[in-house]
Amino acid sequence: MLGCVWCGRLFSLPLTVAMIWQWRPLPQPALCPACREQLTPIGSQYCPQCGRQQATSEVCHDCRRWPDNLRNRALYCYDAGMKAYMQQYKFQGDYRLRLGLQAALSTALKRENYEVLVPIPIDQRTWQTRGFNQVTGWLTGQPFQQVLAVTATHKDRPQSAKTRQERLLTPQPFELVAGAGEVLANRRVLLLDDVYTTGRTLRHAAQQIYLGGAKAVTSLTLAR
Amino acid sequence: MTDFSELFGRRSPTPLPGAPGMVTSPAIVAVGTRWRCQRCYQWVAPADRLPNGDRYCRTCLQLGRLTTQDRLYTIPEPNRFPRLVSGGCTWRGQLSELQAQAATAVQAHAQAGHRQLLWAVTGAGKTEIVYPALAEALRQGWRVAWVSPRVDVCLELAPRLQRDFGGVEQCVLYGGQPVAYHYCQLTICTTHQLLRFDRAFDWIVVDEVDAFPLATSPMLQVAIDRAQKEAGSCLYLTATPGERLQREIKQGKVAVTYLPLRYHGYLLPPIQLKISWRWRQQLRQGRLPMGLQHQLNRWWQARRPFLIFVPHVADLSVVAAVLARNGLSGGTTVYAADPDRQAKVQAFREGQQRYLVTTTILERGVTFPSVAVAILGADDPVFSTAALVQIAGRVGRLASDPGGQVLAYCHSNARNVQRARAMITRLNRQGRRQGGRQC
Repeated sequence: MLGCVWCGRLFSLPLTVAMIWQWRPLPQPALCPACREQLTPIGSQYCPQCGRQQATSEVCHDCRRWPDNLRNRALYCYDAGMKAYMQQYKFQGDYRLRLGLQAALSTALKRENYEVLVPIPIDQRTWQTRGFNQVTGWLTGQPFQQVLAVTATHKDRPQSAKTRQERLLTPQPFELVAGAGEVLANRRVLLLDDVYTTGRTLRHAAQQIYLGGAKAVTSLTLAR
Repeated sequence: MTDFSELFGRRSPTPLPGAPGMVTSPAIVAVGTRWRCQRCYQWVAPADRLPNGDRYCRTCLQLGRLTTQDRLYTIPEPNRFPRLVSGGCTWRGQLSELQAQAATAVQAHAQAGHRQLLWAVTGAGKTEIVYPALAEALRQGWRVAWVSPRVDVCLELAPRLQRDFGGVEQCVLYGGQPVAYHYCQLTICTTHQLLRFDRAFDWIVVDEVDAFPLATSPMLQVAIDRAQKEAGSCLYLTATPGERLQREIKQGKVAVTYLPLRYHGYLLPPIQLKISWRWRQQLRQGRLPMGLQHQLNRWWQARRPFLIFVPHVADLSVVAAVLARNGLSGGTTVYAADPDRQAKVQAFREGQQRYLVTTTILERGVTFPSVAVAILGADDPVFSTAALVQIAGRVGRLASDPGGQVLAYCHSNARNVQRARAMITRLNRQGRRQGGRQC
């Protein structure tokens, strides 16, 4: 019997012949099948630029409005189920829920081609209230470099509380920490964030990473 | 002078600076090698830690996260209320003789500070019976809470209490309530909201005490105990107390007031046991037990509306198909996630539908005139003892037609059916003693 970290119910997985044949430890999923169904993984058809789930494989309307082409990939659609997860994990601060998506993120990171992993940082005030960085919580021992920091002068409302227009007008919130140049010089960098909404935050971050001397910057988010 | 009443008897993580008599304590404390949350009184799992090592409580996370860094602030309840004439009661109704007797007993137990249960059958008028005791409590300046595990019960009750106790300041609390909390003498809330109170109430009335989730949640049971004062007491209201409560009655830990008669003075219709061997297999072959089939035909020809309870949603369509094949038209099925649920129930009540095939969702809180009930597969574990008694309570609720049949079709005389029948027999025996009439 396993306990689901989200709904708390006990569940068990049916044992298959393949599980026995492979002679590996049995999979220990943190989410029960019902909770996993709440989250919609992004299928085979998505925007090649922002990774949004859609019916075609063409660059989506939002991406055509950006002058650059930051390549982003996402794991799940940002639908009602994902919003509920984020609400409990990020805003209510249920750090234990990080276990629910660690396995999915770990497989996604193996697919990505990068040398340095850079998670998006959170500001000082959020650290005090939340007590954890929601992005690094999903990592299970993958090495990462915290080369970005939120500027001390950046006093702003959270992105999630703004309209699209306000989000797009947000000034640069990030700066490079001391010694970032050595880590980034001529490397392929992967940015990691929780949600891609307008792409403003990731582009601000990418801009700073390029200034630090990186060769290429791509990004991975949990939801789009 | 600033108003500190916000903290009276509350358990809040935000202090009011300068408040006189404010008491503070850590939100999560170590007890031996374990940690316990002081709001919900549940243990914190060892794995529930933030990166900096702080522990946090996941059980009451919905009320805002508490960590080892947080503290809870409270001001001991001062009972600062205006004096009320006749407890602010504006109710002008009349209790029947039996109801008045029960009301007197409830009031006596409340005044003596006993933990008590009002065990009144379905359709006895429980709310009104509590009114005299409530008025007396409010008159003495007690702080009172009327709580229920179900939010729809609270929402239905609030306007009634507002109307019948017009002289008392009241507030209604539930998850996502539109108005903010304010200090007042009568609080109507869900059991979850009691977690925010600390030794605040002199008296707590717990409505539908056997309903989900209170019956299965140790957190909520502790919340009731910790929201009442050391000298306070509580009153449970239900028609079907659970086994734990019945055991406590036998042990003498809970005072009990019975009201075994309905307001119209007739006895409860007993559940008739009909053994139908292998009904599940018969249903799989597209047949109903012969006895049930004949009984339904009889009801159908007598134009009596009837309810058929089945254990699972999947059984609904099978039963409906069999009935349609046998020429019993004009009925429908209803279940919890049915989009037309309200409309179908309303249509049945008005007589536009001749029968309903349903799951346990219609077990409590609905009244249909002159209905008959058949329970197919009453031995299924879905039907708890309480559910069966509540289902039987749908029958004969009108003073003009107090009779009616409740038939339980099952493979064997299972324990839940046995217990439900025993409970009804016991209540009826007491009812007969008090002059109840057989119908």
